Amino acid sequence: MKNEEKGIYFAEGLAVPETPEPGKDPKPWKETNVVGKSRPRVDGYERVSGSAMYPSDYSLPHMLFGAVLRCPYPNAKIKRVDTRKAEQMPGVRAIISAATPEARVLWPYTPHMKVELFDSHCRFEGEAVAAVAAETPYQASDAVRAIDVTYEVLPFVTDERKAMLSDAPKVHPAGNRVGPTEHYSRGDVAKGFEEADVVLEESYRTECEIHTPMELHGCLAYWDGDLLNIHESTQGVYAVQSKVAEVLDLPLSKVRVMGRYMGGGFGSKLQPGKYTVIAAILAKITGCPVKLFLTREETYLCTGNRPASNMKLKAGVTKDGRLTALDFSVVGSGGAYPAGGTLLVDWLVKDLYLCPNVRTAATDVYTNAGPARPFRAPGHPQGAWALEQMMDALAKAIDMDPVALRLKNIPSYSQARKGNPPYTTTGLAACLKEGAKAFGWEKRRKEIAAEKPNGSLRRGVGMAACLWVAGGGRPPSTIILKLFSDGSVNLNMGASDIGTGTKTVMAMVVAEELNVHTDVIQIEHADTGTTQFATPSGGSKTVPTEAPAVRRAAIHVKQQLLEMAAEQLKADVSDLRFKGNAIVHGNDDAKKVTIKDLKGLKKRGVVVGVGYRGPNPEGKVVNPFGVQFCEVEMDIRTGEIRIVDFLGANESGRVMDRLTFDNQVFGGITMGIGLGMTEVRVLDEGGSGKMLNKNWHDYKLPTALDVSPRMTSFPIELPDPEANITGAKGLGEPVTIPTAAAIANAVYHACGVRMTETPINPTRLGVMLSDRPKEA
Amino acid sequence: MLSNFAYVQPQSLKAALKQLETPEARLHAGGTDLLGCLREGIFGAKKIVSISGLNAFKGVRETSNGGLRIGALTTITQVERHPAIRSRFRALSQGAGEVASPQLRNQGTIGGNICQKPRCWYYRGEFHCLRKGGERCYAVGGENQYHCIFGGENCFIVHPSDTAPPLVALEAVVRIVGPQGTRSVPVSRFHVPPSEDFRQETVLAPDEMVTEIILPPAPSGLRSSYRKVRARRAWDFSLAGMALAITFKDNTVQKARVVFSGVAPVPWRSKEVEVAITGRRLDKETVARAADAAVREAEPMEKNGYKISLLRGVVEEELLAAQSGESPG
Repeated sequence: MKNEEKGIYFAEGLAVPETPEPGKDPKPWKETNVVGKSRPRVDGYERVSGSAMYPSDYSLPHMLFGAVLRCPYPNAKIKRVDTRKAEQMPGVRAIISAATPEARVLWPYTPHMKVELFDSHCRFEGEAVAAVAAETPYQASDAVRAIDVTYEVLPFVTDERKAMLSDAPKVHPAGNRVGPTEHYSRGDVAKGFEEADVVLEESYRTECEIHTPMELHGCLAYWDGDLLNIHESTQGVYAVQSKVAEVLDLPLSKVRVMGRYMGGGFGSKLQPGKYTVIAAILAKITGCPVKLFLTREETYLCTGNRPASNMKLKAGVTKDGRLTALDFSVVGSGGAYPAGGTLLVDWLVKDLYLCPNVRTAATDVYTNAGPARPFRAPGHPQGAWALEQMMDALAKAIDMDPVALRLKNIPSYSQARKGNPPYTTTGLAACLKEGAKAFGWEKRRKEIAAEKPNGSLRRGVGMAACLWVAGGGRPPSTIILKLFSDGSVNLNMGASDIGTGTKTVMAMVVAEELNVHTDVIQIEHADTGTTQFATPSGGSKTVPTEAPAVRRAAIHVKQQLLEMAAEQLKADVSDLRFKGNAIVHGNDDAKKVTIKDLKGLKKRGVVVGVGYRGPNPEGKVVNPFGVQFCEVEMDIRTGEIRIVDFLGANESGRVMDRLTFDNQVFGGITMGIGLGMTEVRVLDEGGSGKMLNKNWHDYKLPTALDVSPRMTSFPIELPDPEANITGAKGLGEPVTIPTAAAIANAVYHACGVRMTETPINPTRLGVMLSDRPKEA
Repeated sequence: MLSNFAYVQPQSLKAALKQLETPEARLHAGGTDLLGCLREGIFGAKKIVSISGLNAFKGVRETSNGGLRIGALTTITQVERHPAIRSRFRALSQGAGEVASPQLRNQGTIGGNICQKPRCWYYRGEFHCLRKGGERCYAVGGENQYHCIFGGENCFIVHPSDTAPPLVALEAVVRIVGPQGTRSVPVSRFHVPPSEDFRQETVLAPDEMVTEIILPPAPSGLRSSYRKVRARRAWDFSLAGMALAITFKDNTVQKARVVFSGVAPVPWRSKEVEVAITGRRLDKETVARAADAAVREAEPMEKNGYKISLLRGVVEEELLAAQSGESPG
C-alpha cells in the first residue's frame, strides 16, 4: 500500500476499469487491483473485538424475555394447558397458548400445509405448546416449566425405514408418504447394464445431521405503533419479513426486519421460525420488546437437520471406463412435515458424469421427528457418499485409477435438465487433473502400495468429485451505491453476510471499480427498512447474485461522474476516462478534474448509482465444480482414523477474495468431516422416541483435533465471462459435498473395508475390521 | 433455571466439613460436572460449598518413601504436566492428558474427576431411570452404543473417568475426610458397582470429601501407560481404554495391574489379562491370549458389540508396546 496517497483515493495512475456506455455491459476485468487478492474481512475487527452487534446482543429498555414450552413426546395430543400456576410466578408478564386469541394464527410448514401456531396435535418432540414473556430469562424458563399440560401420548415412528411399514403409526391421517415416489429416467437402464463389463450394486446410508450454528436461532421483536421491528439472526431479512407478514396478516411495509451481523447459518436460517412469530405476539400483548432466543437443546429439536438418506446404487461400467448405466433409489424423511426429505439426493447421479442410461427413485416419508431444513448443499453430500464410493469401487473393479475413471466421463452439458443445456464452463476435468497433481495423487498411491505395514497403522488416499446444482446466482438484486462529495462511498444492499465475507467481497468490487479504499466504504445491509429486496444468502449464490449488481451500481456512479466532468471540462463523455483520483481527457493529461473538485458533485452532495442483477445466459447452466483429495492414517486394531491432509480443488469461476475463498474450502471440509466421521442424531427409536444427544457433547461436532492441520485450498480459476459480469460462481456448498466420500474412499484404500454407513469412527469401523477377511 | 441455593466458601477443612452437614449440600471443586448435574436436574442443592479456598489440597508433594500425595484440588492439567508424575507414573499423566478438552482440564480437579456422575444419556436426560430412583434402566433395549459390556447387572453405565483406571492400576489410595475423621480407601474399592448399589457411584458419604490421592512408590521395572479410544479425538469419553502398570524383570512380566475404562460401571480390573501375562514375555502368542482373555467375560448389549473388538485391539496394541518399551499411541 506504499504507493497510495493518504486519503480516499488510490494513487494516480492506477488503472480503473473502463466505464461502458449507459445500457452496455462492461467487459470482464482483466488485470485487477483489488478483486482476487487476499483481503481480510472489512468487519473483521468488529467481529473479533466484540463490538459487532449480533441480534442476540441487542437489549432495549423494558425488554422482556421469551421462552417456549415444547412437547416432550414425539407424538401427542394436547388435552389441557393449565397456566394458572405459571401466571402467578414473579416477573411473568404474558403467557400465550392455543387458547390465546392473538396466538390463533396459522403457521405454514409449507404453502399447502398450514397448522395452528400452537397446534393441539404435536407431531414431533420439540413442537411449540405455549410461550411465556417474563422480566428475566430465568423467570421465563421457570414459568414455562410450571405450565401444566395434559397430553394424550400417541404411538410414534421416528425411523424413516420403518415409516412405510403397514403397521407404522401414521404421522398424518393420510399416511406416511409425503407424496408418490418421484421417478426420473433417461435412456434404457437394462440395456446399459447389458453393455457393461462390470456391474456393482451397493446400499449406503448417511445419518441425520443437526443444524448447530454458533449463534442460536431467535430474535428481538418490538412494536413501534403498528410497525413490527425484528432483529433476527437470519440468512435473509426479506424472507423473514414475508413469512411474518403472511402469518400475522400485515402489509410488508409494516414488518421491518434487521439482521446486520449474524452468527452463522447453513440453511436453517433461510426462513423465520415459529419463535419469530411468538416473539412478535408476546411483544404485542405486553407492549414491550421481547427477546426470544432458543436454548441449544431446543435448536436440536426444532430448527432443522440434514435428513438421513438410505440409498441403493447399481452401476455399470465398461472395461475402458465408460459408465453405461446408473440405477439409484433413496428413502428419506424431512420429519413430521414436508421438508424435502430426499431433496436433490439423486442430483449427482443424474448429472455429474456422462451416462446415457440413468434411473432414480426418491421416496420421502413422514416421521415423528423435527422437520428438516436446507443444510449446506441439500442432498448432495448424501448422493456423493453413494456415487463417489461407487466410482471408487468401479475403478478398482476395472483396475483403473479413480481419477482416470472420472476423467473418462466428463460431461460438457447438463444431462439432467431438459434439452441438455451446456455449462458455461466446467472445471471438473481441470479440478481432477490439476488437483491430483497438486496433491501428489499418483506418487502417494505408489508410495503406499510399496509401503510395509507399520504395526497396526495403515495409510490410504481417497478422492471424490462434485458439482453443485445451483451456484450461478440469479436476479433479482438491487444495489444502491452512494458516492459522497469527499469521494467516500455508501454501499446499500439487502443481502445478509452470514459469515462468508459477503460484505468484504462487495467492498472489493466497489474498490476495484471506483479506486477507493475499502475502509471508506460504509456498508448498509440486511434491513428491510432501509435496503433493497434481496433473496436470502444461501445456495452458494450470494456472490454471483450480488457482486454483478454492485459492479453495475459502481459503473452507474462512474457514468454520472463522467457526465459531470464532461460538462465541467466542456468535453465529450466519450473522450474522458478515470485515472486515479481524477477524470482526464483523452491523451491530454493536463485537461482533468479530480473527483472531489467536480462541481456537480459538490452541488448535489451525492451521486447515487443503482445496479440491478442482469439475467443469466439463456440456454446455459452455471454450476461450480470441485474435487477433494485426502490422506488418512488408521489403526486397523481400533478403527481410529487420523486425517493427514486434505486438498480441495474448486472451480467457482473467478476468485473474488482469496482469503474468503480459502475459508470456505476449509470450513466445508470441516463440516464434511462431521458428516463422514462424527455427527449422528440419536433418537430413542425403541423406547421414548426422544432425541438422546441434544447437546454439544453427545452430538459430536468435529473438534480441532478431528480436522487436519494440513489443508490446502487449490483454486481452479477458469474465466467464465458468460456467467455474469464478475465471472464468479458460488463456492460455499461444493466445498462440503465430496468430503465424506473422499474419507470413505481413503479408508477403503488404507484397509480394504468399504464403509457404506456414516459415521466412520471406531464405533462402526472396529466391527468391520474384525469381521473382514484376513487377507484384506 | 436452577433452584435457589446458598453459596459458601469456607477457608478451612473444618469449616468445609461443617458446611457439608447441611442437608443437600454439594461440594464445588472445579464445578465442571456440578453445573451440568444441577442444570440437568440430576440432583438439587440447598447449599453449594466451594472448596476452592482450601489451598492445602492443591498441588503434588513427594512422600518420604518415594510416593506422591496429590491434593484433591490439583487440576487435571497440573496432574498431566507434573514432572514426577510424568516420569514415574506415566499412566496417570497420560490419563489426565486424555480427559475432555484443555479448558475442562484447566478447570477440573483430580478429586472431581474420580467422583464424576455417569454420562449415560438416559441418566442425564429426561428419563426417571433406576439410578435416579426410577424403575428401570432405559439403556436395556434402548440406545446402548455407549454402555457397558462388563458388570452391568441392573444399570449399564460406564464410568467416565480417565484418571481412575490409572490410579487403580498404580494402587493409589484415596484419603477421605468426614465428621468421623479420616479414612483411607484404595481407589480400587472407591467406586461402587451397580451390583452393590445402583444409586451410588462412590463410597463417599454426603458429608465426606476426598482430600488427597496417595501414590505408593513406583517399583523398579515399572512401565505404566493409559490408552483411550473415543469417537472423536477431543472432548469425548472413552469407548474403550486401558491402564497398565506392569513390573518387568528381565523382559518378563513380574506383576501386572490391568484396568479398563469405558467398558464397565466402575474402573474395571481385568484379572483375566493379568493372569494371562504374569510370568510371561509379552510375545505375540501371549498377547493374543491376553486379548482373548480380556473379552471372555464380556456381555455386550444390542448396540455396543463393537467394544469387544475395540477392547481386544487396545489390549493387543498396548501389551506389545509395553514389551518393546515404546511409547504407545
